[in-house]
Amino acid sequence: MINPIAYFLIFLKGSLFSSGGLSNLPSIHQDLIGRKWAVEAQFGESLAIGQISPGPNGLWVISLGYLSYGFLGAFLALIAITLPPFFVLLVSSAYTRIEHQHWVPGLMRGISLAVIGISITVFWTIISGSGTDWRAWLLCLGAFLIALTKKVSVPLILVLAGIAGYLIYR
Amino acid sequence: MHTVEQHPYPGRWKLFLIWMNIGLQSFGGGSSTTLLIQRTFIENYHWLTFEEYTYYWNLCQFPPGINLIALTILIGKKLGGITGTISALLGLLLPSALVTCLLAAVFKQVQQLNAVQAIIKGVIPATAGISLVTTLNFARTPFQLASKEGLSSICLNLVLIAFCTLAIIWLQAPAFLMIPCIAVLGIACFTRPLFRRKAESSQHD
Repeated sequence: MINPIAYFLIFLKGSLFSSGGLSNLPSIHQDLIGRKWAVEAQFGESLAIGQISPGPNGLWVISLGYLSYGFLGAFLALIAITLPPFFVLLVSSAYTRIEHQHWVPGLMRGISLAVIGISITVFWTIISGSGTDWRAWLLCLGAFLIALTKKVSVPLILVLAGIAGYLIYR
Repeated sequence: MHTVEQHPYPGRWKLFLIWMNIGLQSFGGGSSTTLLIQRTFIENYHWLTFEEYTYYWNLCQFPPGINLIALTILIGKKLGGITGTISALLGLLLPSALVTCLLAAVFKQVQQLNAVQAIIKGVIPATAGISLVTTLNFARTPFQLASKEGLSSICLNLVLIAFCTLAIIWLQAPAFLMIPCIAVLGIACFTRPLFRRKAESSQHD
């Protein structure tokens, strides 16, 4: 049985200690899988749905919420990602004081490196999920190279990948 | 900071509609959203100067979570105080979240079909590939900075990234601790005068 408060806190914790829309994934993944409140496949599916749907990428947690816990899950996930950014109001009143401290650039560089590390973890979580064979790696490489050129929009790449998946795995 | 007010500040309802437009039009993640925000608030309505926007965006790097939501909060607050913030957030998030939720609901209905399984098996690795491009974009600025500071700085950056990644994947380190942990290591590693002096001298070149 899912406990709604604990469920909400898992999403809130993930977002409180994250930077950007996808970096809450490793934390939420560890907690939900650990409690068996979600299954591995739901993460890849949610990320895919999050990419297809409009709005910031971070909204992927809403489809994770829906798939693992219905409309209540989606709602709790939405609240959980909306609250942490409110810290920006504190930052904006304190920023002029810390802006020129000599340790601030180091802090920012540390955060941005952690974000890179975590986004590699996100990649690993998606690709090491169930049923990854050599064709999946090939699709991954293809999507990477096409996205790198910036000439094809992300939703179109996903549509192409969906067609490829249909032809390969049907 | 002074602003050129060419349009009067919008009411709650108009703010909601503007942000709803931005939310529903932004496909493919953050970069398209930021572009829409710049066009709307700076170029179309002149409610923000580019300097203000850049200043806000810098502030949004500090708070946890989705930067775009923090940016929405700041712009909403400037244009309409607390109610402005709330209507901006509702406009950005609610319609997009509803669409996301509906897509998930439709997916749940049809996910047992073989064709859907096959399509998803194609889409998921592509999502992974696209996320790698995002990673590269994140990496650009830190490594441009590091390459100005020399090889040792590049290595230090790589070590910190590898430490973060491997700690989570192999050691199952709690992911939520890694940002504060690497942030402190960042202060320790990059506040050294050695790197700063080199960086400054190469900027003057």
